[in-house]
Amino acid sequence: MSNKTYRTSTEEETKSVAAEFASTLNGGDVVFLSGDLGSGKTTFVRGVAEMFGFKEPVRSPSFTIVNRYPVENSTVKRILHVDFYRLDDPSEIVPLALEEEVGRPDTVTFIEWPEKAEGRISEASQYIVFVADGDTRTITLLVPPRD
Amino acid sequence: MRVLAIETSCDETSIAMVSMTDSVFTIEKNLISSQVKIHAQYGGVVPEVAAREHAAWIMPLLQEVGVAHDGSGIDVLAVTAGPGLVPALRVGVELAKTLAWAWNKPLVAVNHLEGHIYSVWLSAPLSPSSPSVPSRPPQFPALCLLVSGGHTELILMRGHGQYELLGMTRDDAAGEAFDKVAKLMGLEYPGGPKIAAFAREGDASAIHFPRPMIDSGDLDFSFAGLKTAVRVYLQAHPEASVENVSASFLQAVVDVLVKKTLVAVEKIHPSSVILSGGVSADRHVRETLKARLVDLDPSITFHAPDLSLTGDNAAMVGAAGLMKATRKEFVDPFTLKADPNMRLT
Repeated sequence: MSNKTYRTSTEEETKSVAAEFASTLNGGDVVFLSGDLGSGKTTFVRGVAEMFGFKEPVRSPSFTIVNRYPVENSTVKRILHVDFYRLDDPSEIVPLALEEEVGRPDTVTFIEWPEKAEGRISEASQYIVFVADGDTRTITLLVPPRD
Repeated sequence: MRVLAIETSCDETSIAMVSMTDSVFTIEKNLISSQVKIHAQYGGVVPEVAAREHAAWIMPLLQEVGVAHDGSGIDVLAVTAGPGLVPALRVGVELAKTLAWAWNKPLVAVNHLEGHIYSVWLSAPLSPSSPSVPSRPPQFPALCLLVSGGHTELILMRGHGQYELLGMTRDDAAGEAFDKVAKLMGLEYPGGPKIAAFAREGDASAIHFPRPMIDSGDLDFSFAGLKTAVRVYLQAHPEASVENVSASFLQAVVDVLVKKTLVAVEKIHPSSVILSGGVSADRHVRETLKARLVDLDPSITFHAPDLSLTGDNAAMVGAAGLMKATRKEFVDPFTLKADPNMRLT
């Protein structure tokens, strides 16, 4: 599978790229979202959650670290929205007990700022890179080969 | 009535003892992990990176707070049961349940937001011998603007323990926007207080940042777009003055917070307005909201917590818990569970 690159200039465009991506997700997937502040990571997850029929606002998990969105889908029952932005040290991940939830077969996990985990979290099944320049955002979907 | 209160919903581990006599609260102890040194007798200083290691903090704080081993002198236990991080909440909830069972004392479960609201009913914990009593407690109906790193909510209180959520942020909390904009300007986390300091030296009208949803007609907030506007501005103007960007950004946040609060005031006609949460420590936010309220209706009283009580602390949980205890809203220690999505209503 090859990488795909999109350019978006509005929140709606970012959300429609996310909705298209959402249709490729399987339960247990762990998606890493890399990119600077304001580059569209949370908007992307909002687009996925809306595609899965989640009706409430998707808020930034930067403060809460973990948000959970219950959804109705044949295989995916829950979206886990994780954000390591506030972590000062990867050792702080241990008390979050994320291993109880990340990668569960009924859960799709999105992780913002995965670099801060320095490997102390499950490997990504998909990796998305966000680059913002002015009002334009470049979204690149990197899909590692599945074994 | 005296409460032992426990708060572990987010970053701070906190244990407090608060008493209530004739509806006046007195903070006897309010220990907060980021503000106390845990000494070698407990196995060394808990390192800074373990900010969220509630399990490491909780027993030393319980000992430090000076509660009797048999719980004598304590009438009720109060604990934050949500919202927050489950593994964090669990540490406090399990301790409270265990103590309530062992001491055979009643237990109340407090919502973290409710704690922040009740911070304005507390006197400043200067010393046990000189409690400064709030001149006048808030009157109902009261409108509460709760603004912190994790919250931006407008809540209506028609009486003690009666809440109605009027509006909230749809994306980022206001405090989060402060911290992230600070980061965009290269300031260290948490950057909120630094932005406020730079803003005092800058020109608030230098840059016109958007006021998201200011005229949406509802009482919801949005701050993600404002953060992005600052990022776009900084990319186009790398030489921009940190003072002017800070002042202009702060003004945009204040304008939105104040406008939405005033819209709610005109809808609800409250007797009092309460500003609480971490962002309530900001002088510009406090003074602007207070002044605009006076302009609108000088009969409305304005209340904000003592600066020492704006962040997360157990004393505010104790105050909310004591009010619940007077209403006998007790919970069963065998069934209470931490609830990460706990709602006020």
